[in-house]
Amino acid sequence: MRKIDDILESVVVAAIVLVLVHTFTDDLSILAGWAVGTRRWIIWTGLGFDLFFTVEFFTRLYAAIGRHEGAVYFFRERGWIDFLASIPLLLLNSFPNTMALLAGAGLVTGVGSFLNVLKVIKAVRIARILRLLRVIKLFRGIRYARSPMAQRHLATIITISVTVLVAWTICASVMESTGVLPGLEAPFTTGQAARIKSITTGDGSLAAVTQRAAEIAALDVSILAVRSENGPTLWSRFDSAYYEERFLPGDYGYHVENGIEIFTDERPTAQASAREALIFFVAVLLTVLGFLFFYAPRFALGISDPVSIMKRGMAEKDYNLEVRIPPDRSEDDVFELAELYNRVFLPLKDRQGSGSHESQSALSIDDVRDLVEKE
Amino acid sequence: METRTDQIERFAARLLETPGLRQLPGLQKEEQALQFLKTNGARIQPVFASLGLDVTRGWKEPAAIIARAVRLVVDKLLDKELAAIVGSRCTLSFFPGVAGGRQPPSRWREELLALVKRIAAHPVARGMLSGALAAVESDLTDRYIPEAWERKKYVYGEITRVQRLNLPSAELAELVRFILLVRSAPYLHVTPGSTAPNENGPGTLQEPFLQKILPHVCSLVPSLPGSLVQMAMRSTLAFPAQIEATARIAAVLALRGRTLVPGLIVDRGADTPDKSWLNVARRNARWHGLDSRLLDELYTISAENGW
Repeated sequence: MRKIDDILESVVVAAIVLVLVHTFTDDLSILAGWAVGTRRWIIWTGLGFDLFFTVEFFTRLYAAIGRHEGAVYFFRERGWIDFLASIPLLLLNSFPNTMALLAGAGLVTGVGSFLNVLKVIKAVRIARILRLLRVIKLFRGIRYARSPMAQRHLATIITISVTVLVAWTICASVMESTGVLPGLEAPFTTGQAARIKSITTGDGSLAAVTQRAAEIAALDVSILAVRSENGPTLWSRFDSAYYEERFLPGDYGYHVENGIEIFTDERPTAQASAREALIFFVAVLLTVLGFLFFYAPRFALGISDPVSIMKRGMAEKDYNLEVRIPPDRSEDDVFELAELYNRVFLPLKDRQGSGSHESQSALSIDDVRDLVEKE
Repeated sequence: METRTDQIERFAARLLETPGLRQLPGLQKEEQALQFLKTNGARIQPVFASLGLDVTRGWKEPAAIIARAVRLVVDKLLDKELAAIVGSRCTLSFFPGVAGGRQPPSRWREELLALVKRIAAHPVARGMLSGALAAVESDLTDRYIPEAWERKKYVYGEITRVQRLNLPSAELAELVRFILLVRSAPYLHVTPGSTAPNENGPGTLQEPFLQKILPHVCSLVPSLPGSLVQMAMRSTLAFPAQIEATARIAAVLALRGRTLVPGLIVDRGADTPDKSWLNVARRNARWHGLDSRLLDELYTISAENGW
């Protein structure tokens, strides 16, 4: 049973590594303008990962509830990270994206209410940042230190750092989209909205709308197509085949006003957003790696290693190594304690042990049982 | 057809080769195994039973049978160890330097080997031999004495000016090795179960006792000078008695040998084994009857060399 648990945990760790690679690739594909076919696979894979982690979350929760430890799992064992990095992503990101793909919410050819899914996709794009919380899960899954204290201490620091970074980024994005904190996109969006209004207001005849669309589209390359609501296409920059080859849901915007549908090219803003996401991804990764490779060794050197040596010295009769005290850290509390251990405890232990030849044996009961089993 | 005795002996041999004991010298293996049987005998009764031993009257009898088998196996190991040490490692190269230029007598190897075997066969002396033998096998003498010689400080001064020995460091290391092998001989005269003289703490032997038993010990190695045997025996006296520097060094190394684990992997953040041990030993120098200035110098050597 234990072996099966270990295998499953290894599978989860492997899935986390893969999903982080996937997150990076997803943003990179948008930024680099990869082929639609490849990006379509990336969207499907994203759904697969989010489904996997949703199942993982419910399995862990169910098992914890079965042990009457549901709250312990959710709050103390960081089940909330499992939750945030699975269900919201599934509902707000992968599911709408794949629904749009399935429904054929293609530019110009897309019909009906499915085109409204595009608005959802854009609004919750920020939810993708939640994927970075999986870095914490990855960290949790890897046993990098022998000391549970060091493991827990670093897990806490990394959880706080990554969560604060992610939470603040989501807040900033919300403030940006509500206009409290206007972003670089704001002038572009405002200008685009004004031009859309110019097309949809005025003479409502199809000929006049077509005329206005052609004139304004000549000035604004982000206008891709204009269509009468549920009616014929009035003006289009490219033919349908071109759109199908180069656009996916999220690459274009959909606006309806006065019975006129306007499709806009959102790839530049999507690329800007992907670039920001990549920068953020790398920042989070570097933060975690910084803790792992710079802070963890310092923590081990300064706290967990001396504590571990003193613990062994007190528990094992034959373990008499002193704690090495770095001269520049001799005033740290732990090393002051270690100094007392070296100077007072070990000599006393030596005297106490010198009364007899008896020592704790290096043999254990298990060693002997193993011998008999091998006989 | 394997008899029960063979089975027990095979079990004892395998017990001594378990990963926890494999790297230790024979006598330390024995100490650890016997200690294990003493403290865990009751818990391993099913093991005794599986070896065909009668456990209906408790665990002590079967444990004693296993303990005897362990000693038998260790005796065989010891025979090889001692033959290798006395037969090839020891050369008595110092002999001309301490015997007015005379070469070592022809029978010295047989006599020395017989003495050490006799020590190993005596219950009390065997326990005392353990640390000394570990020190010899780990070449502690060859590590520390040349270093101390180079430094020309306390150890050098004590040997050349006080003890008035004029030997090169390699021969001096050989002399200390000889002392280590012979120093447990006085314990041949200690009855098992009597107030145990203990080299790990106070209660070391007294000068008059050594004087009394010296003729007998010398008779066991008749071709070696009595002064040399006496020097080795005086290594069991507690400092600050008048003890030769070489004997004081041997006393420190023998005590070090008791807790020596060859190939020990030092935990991250811990000090090296010799440095740790010597630092504790110099704080307990008076308790153990050791020369604290000698320990200070050996501590410095171990710290400088990362031992």
